[in-house]
Amino acid sequence: MKSHISIRNVNAFYSDHQALKGITVEIPEKQITAIIGPSGCGKSTLLKCFNRLIDLTDGARVSGKIIVDDMDVLNHSIDITDVRRRMGLLPQKPNPLPMSIYDNVAYGPRIHGIKDKKKLDQMVEKYLKIAGLWDEVKDRLKSPASKLSIGQQQRLCLARGLAVEPEIILCDEPTSALDPVSSQHIEQQLLKLKSDYTIVIVTHNIHQAMRLADYVIHLYLGEIVEHGAANEVFENPKEERTRAYIDGTFLSDMKVDEEIDLKGNVCPYNFVYAKQALHALPKGKILRMIVDDPTAVTEVPRGMEADGHEILSVKQRNKKEWEIIIKKQ
Amino acid sequence: MNIRKLKDIIAGRLILASAIFSGLLVFIIAAVLYSRSISILSAKSLSELFLGITWLPSQGEFGFYQFILGTIYVTALAMVFAIPLGTLSAIYLAEYAHESMRSKILPLIDMLAGIPPVVYGMFGVLIIVPLVADIARVSGKLGIPGLTAGSYSTGFSLLAGSVVLAIMIFPIIISISYEVLRSVPSEVREASLSLGATRWQTIKHAVIRTALPGLAAAVILGFSRAFGETIAVLMVAGIALNNIPSSVFDAVYPLPALIALNYGEMMSIPLYDSALLLAALILMAIILIFTLTARLILIRMGGAHG
Repeated sequence: MKSHISIRNVNAFYSDHQALKGITVEIPEKQITAIIGPSGCGKSTLLKCFNRLIDLTDGARVSGKIIVDDMDVLNHSIDITDVRRRMGLLPQKPNPLPMSIYDNVAYGPRIHGIKDKKKLDQMVEKYLKIAGLWDEVKDRLKSPASKLSIGQQQRLCLARGLAVEPEIILCDEPTSALDPVSSQHIEQQLLKLKSDYTIVIVTHNIHQAMRLADYVIHLYLGEIVEHGAANEVFENPKEERTRAYIDGTFLSDMKVDEEIDLKGNVCPYNFVYAKQALHALPKGKILRMIVDDPTAVTEVPRGMEADGHEILSVKQRNKKEWEIIIKKQ
Repeated sequence: MNIRKLKDIIAGRLILASAIFSGLLVFIIAAVLYSRSISILSAKSLSELFLGITWLPSQGEFGFYQFILGTIYVTALAMVFAIPLGTLSAIYLAEYAHESMRSKILPLIDMLAGIPPVVYGMFGVLIIVPLVADIARVSGKLGIPGLTAGSYSTGFSLLAGSVVLAIMIFPIIISISYEVLRSVPSEVREASLSLGATRWQTIKHAVIRTALPGLAAAVILGFSRAFGETIAVLMVAGIALNNIPSSVFDAVYPLPALIALNYGEMMSIPLYDSALLLAALILMAIILIFTLTARLILIRMGGAHG
């Protein structure tokens, strides 16, 4: 594995709050690296350090080294515009510039000095094709980018980023604002692109990370918990926190077919209601029940298990409420 | 019907009435001005009024040309000074200045916007007018068209008027433009910067473009303020009757000054009162036309960018 971005002891602060603590990791070349972790763990901050967009935040400070092609991005004497040109950014929310579709894609090449109309035409076509948008927009290149659907706008942003011919693509939760079909579209494009580009994707969607990633970095509260090849980390996490994160995500993402609220009920009524609800469900369906009676938290799962159902999780939601997830057998 | 419902109905009606009243006010003023200027409009032809260059009420001559031209000149020149100054300052404050710098300069600019016009007029008389007189002495001899001055210029002139106006309106342009630029989402900057654009390229091609309707609105508000401004201009613009300015060092006599200086005086002269009310109507009409045109442009621009 050849490293493309080398992160050495990076610390980031917003005023007094330390957002990244001593991050040291290598990002492999021409693979998809997923940075996972809960919200507020520093994923986006780390991404913003790569192209130094973090400079735009008032009161942000970064120390350490991020080496890309023998150049330290965090060294303020380098030409940051050159570094940024080498890293396309796919943002969380599509951010088309207030101009036409054509001008959006041509924006990058133009600011880097390409004026030849024919060359620009070719580039616009080429990168809209790579982003999988060409067929949908080829007849209306002059219409404003804001007229596109959100999913199309995101692919336009991808084309725009690719048009400056970067080596690296940074994606900051690129599908979180998109519908499932558009998300899938973006994911497919990224998978196609990884043979030519080093891709770093920040995501809190663990399924997405599993679908896309070759390499995984798990961040928690500004620190790296675990990093390694994706199949190892997902199948056999060395760290308990990674396992908990992966499992937790699975449960909260799980499709619940039926939900009953048993708050205010005491034993044995909550037990009876739960039984009735399960009885009404077809086999294999999933029931979530909310209880606030401490006895129920232990007794209801036990009873249901005795009936042959599968208990998937018991979790405390807040001070008073627990959530029990059961699969009907 | 109980008391509560009654109160609700009364409150509703009252709010509706006040909203209608404020909307109607513009029509009421226009109607009054028009009804009072009918007598001059029927006595004189429009071309006589708008293109006539002599203003001699005692002999029945009411040519508005010099006043309209004076207003347009002084406002236009003021905008020439104020737009670049205001817009560039706003860009600096919104995009480049450090937070500590910003928090010191912005309150000062807001204070500038709150100073009464008469104070600006005095400042103009004390500082700008002598300065303009000095400049006139030097540049007047160079023979550049529009910059010529006779053997002696007092400094009370079109230039002095427009400089004072520019100083008055540039805080308005700055503070509105600043707000507009700050409201440009950071995603727009990030989009441009992440493609390797420099800061200036980002501002020029992405930020200003996004903010354009708002920046235009700032300029229009400054313009409306300048166009109707009376006292500060009157104090420094020279006010010479029957004189078509051919140089920035010539005196001008704008419409608002005409009304302010003459209304209520010598009302025994036939049609005089009517002529001044027509002047007010013209002033109002021009500002309305400009505001409406600007609105239309804004709507068009808004539509184009979704």
